[in-house]
Amino acid sequence: MRFLAGLFLALTMTLPAAAQPPAAVPSPGPAKHVTTELVPEHEGVAPGETIHVALRQQIQKGWHTYWRNSGDSGEPTQIKWTLPTGWQAGGIIWPAPAKIPVGPLMNYGYEGEVLLPVAVTAPANARPGDKVTLKAAVSLLVCAEVCVPEDDALSLTLPVTATPAPAEPMWAKPIAAALAAAPKPAGLAAVFQPRPGGVALAVTGVVLKGANMAGAYFFPFDSTVIDHAKPQAIERGPDGLTLTMAPGYAFQGGKGPAGLAGVLAVGGKAYEIAATPGAPPPGASGLGPPPAKAQGGGGDLGLAAAAVFAFLGGLILNLMPCVVPILAMKAASLAGHGGGEQAEARRQGLAFGIGSVLTFLALAGGLIALKAAGSAIGWGFQLQSPPVVAVLCLLMLAVALNLSGLFEVGTSLQGAGSGLANRGGALGSFFTGALAVVVAAPCTAPFMGPALGWALTQTPAAALTVFLALGLGFAAPFVLVAYAPGLLSRLPRPGPWMEMFRKALAFPMYGAAAWLAWVLAQQSGADDLAKLFAAAVVAGLAAWLAGLAQRRAAMGGKPAVLTAGAGLLAALAVAAVVWPQDKTTELPSEPYSPARLAELRAAGRPVFVNYTAAWCVSCQVNDRVALSTHKTTQAFARHKVAYLKADWTRRDGAIAAELASYGRAGVPLYLVYGTNGGQGVILPSILTPDIVVKAVEAADRH
Amino acid sequence: MIDRRTLLAAAVSLGLAAPALAAPQLGQPAPPFSAMDAQGHRRSLSDFKGKTVVLEWTNSGCPYVGKHYGSGTMQALQKKETADGVVWLTVSSSAPDMQGYFTAPTARAWAAKEHWAGTAILLDSAGKIGRAYEAKNTPHMFIIDKAGRIAYMGGIDDRPYADPESLKGAKPYVALALADLKAGRPVAIPVSQPYGCSVKYNSAE
Repeated sequence: MRFLAGLFLALTMTLPAAAQPPAAVPSPGPAKHVTTELVPEHEGVAPGETIHVALRQQIQKGWHTYWRNSGDSGEPTQIKWTLPTGWQAGGIIWPAPAKIPVGPLMNYGYEGEVLLPVAVTAPANARPGDKVTLKAAVSLLVCAEVCVPEDDALSLTLPVTATPAPAEPMWAKPIAAALAAAPKPAGLAAVFQPRPGGVALAVTGVVLKGANMAGAYFFPFDSTVIDHAKPQAIERGPDGLTLTMAPGYAFQGGKGPAGLAGVLAVGGKAYEIAATPGAPPPGASGLGPPPAKAQGGGGDLGLAAAAVFAFLGGLILNLMPCVVPILAMKAASLAGHGGGEQAEARRQGLAFGIGSVLTFLALAGGLIALKAAGSAIGWGFQLQSPPVVAVLCLLMLAVALNLSGLFEVGTSLQGAGSGLANRGGALGSFFTGALAVVVAAPCTAPFMGPALGWALTQTPAAALTVFLALGLGFAAPFVLVAYAPGLLSRLPRPGPWMEMFRKALAFPMYGAAAWLAWVLAQQSGADDLAKLFAAAVVAGLAAWLAGLAQRRAAMGGKPAVLTAGAGLLAALAVAAVVWPQDKTTELPSEPYSPARLAELRAAGRPVFVNYTAAWCVSCQVNDRVALSTHKTTQAFARHKVAYLKADWTRRDGAIAAELASYGRAGVPLYLVYGTNGGQGVILPSILTPDIVVKAVEAADRH
Repeated sequence: MIDRRTLLAAAVSLGLAAPALAAPQLGQPAPPFSAMDAQGHRRSLSDFKGKTVVLEWTNSGCPYVGKHYGSGTMQALQKKETADGVVWLTVSSSAPDMQGYFTAPTARAWAAKEHWAGTAILLDSAGKIGRAYEAKNTPHMFIIDKAGRIAYMGGIDDRPYADPESLKGAKPYVALALADLKAGRPVAIPVSQPYGCSVKYNSAE
């Protein structure tokens, strides 16, 4: 019957027929997606002894097998043992699973290779010298997008030894590691409570104090208690954490489950927990969500590698168009020192190096302080603010136009620092170094992002190390030239090639500007992008006028009007992208506060609460397409709906906590409260006027 | 203005924002839907007012679906229930190029081959009905009572295994719930664990 069943399944599969393994053929078959075998912890087993035997699965790339709760689909691996009389095998000791998203669904399982250990106990009367054969019928489901059930009949023969046998050389260590890493209870207290916004699971205990809670996740044993695919909102507390999860079928239309048991994965460890219904203790929340990871791409860089890259990056910065003019100037002055003035050149080179390194460190210190103040999360934080992105984009454009030769900054910009930098001697060199770093900063931001992002997510000491390496790399060529003036003659002479080089370098800058425009489009939509483009055109005009003015001035003219015009236009361009957007919605709203909500509800009015933020694209889309429309405005007036806006544009702990209580990590969230009291109804994240009108009509009826 | 809205709508459909529709709730009105069936007729939930409606998610290539069709249990239940006046809608939400994707002709061929005996096969390759019901598996089952409320949601039985041997002694949740509704009793087990293959939605969305 089993064979027929397998045959049937094989026939109904829609995979190419050639890829179909014949059912119930023992492993290893060539076309299988999983290769299985039984591997022992010891070379033998003594009477009465318990050893571990593991089912090893080597899973084809792109495919996965399942944990004890497979998630939204799938089926856990099963082992049916056939053992001689008196021998016993326990259940699978499941390693912590991975989250495997499949389209809009979520599975829990394993990819690559996994060991599933099982405890096997020999009877006390087993006879040393005998051989024992452990037989296992393994049935597993392996899935990529499609699923294939695979059956294997495995066996393992071990000698019975008089005393405990030595460790099996190949498998003892991996099995011991799998057992050590397997989730175990750790004295954690866990309670859960259904709330309007989701099931809150609060876990507290010694091992959670100070743990890194980013990415914490609860894998339930039962597949009906939570909606696996929905995100789990994390709130940290002094003694533990609270996860807010979307409820599963078990919470439908009833009292909910009696318990919530499963595995809590947190800070690289996994613990078994069993939660009972109850109110979360205060120590499980209050510290907000874990800090987000930096946007930079250097997440896996080690400190040494980061420092090396930073040093190289520093070297490359010397070639950056922002820096070239200053270095050229200073190098020329160094070249002036020869012979007896060798010592002076060295002193100046050293001063330049110290100046640039110290400036880099000051920059790092400033950023670390900002981060510590809580206002920033990693390098790139400034890119979270659309006005800053827009201004940076205009700055990049201006640098590019400058490199293209539309206008010059050398004269005026260096003038700012030249009072200090032109001073003779070591002090002058020191300030030249500092100036070079400051001027290089706009070049650093887009191109050094990953390394700096990594540095800022690390300890301050590590961050300073990376910035130090950056500074050393930056200063190295100049200092080197100062100490070995022979090198100077080998450097390419300043000449017309520099002008070509400079104009070629304009294009990476145009690229950076284009990239920033794309970032802005992601953040705040087509309207702001249009505004930025208009500002860019005005900035271009300003740059051209400035260039015109400079050329007239060079010819002895007094182009005051041109200069003023250029300045005015530049200011206008910047103001256009920085000025706060004019928020005139057709729908009159009031700012949200819990007190105001309670007041309106007590007065028997339907209330529409809009959790929104200026940087949230879908919020703005909803506002224009569904909320600020004639139809919705009329419906709100007809039903006397009070419209409250909870603005999350700036970080706000209270609003974040409320979002978390509804299982959301962000905006938009739309809630409609009816006139009859009761809980708010959550509207979809994508609104249409119909959805809104129907919701407020329903709210008024009740 | 129209242009801007089109642009914004396009931006949304490109996935700048993840749609999160309200989940179906036991005892609450069933989400409305409308789709073409394998015979080329448009079928809407509102067509079946006053009738008990069964929704069965299917995927012809899924071993779990195969378990219920290969053994004939699914067709037997369809035949019995439709004879009693129940509307049985088999829904395919597999996206094009995904396992179990149905066009009208392939759905008809499958129905003939399996001796399928429901009311209609709904072609939902865009996944609209699937997402409205948050259907996770094939077979994922829903029962909508005569008042249009969700009376049952979950698995077809209590055996979440692909092995056809597992059908023996299984507790047939859907058949039991339909019997409860027919007798005017409250459904004893209105919710269970849905199981099976994942619904093969278009993952680009």
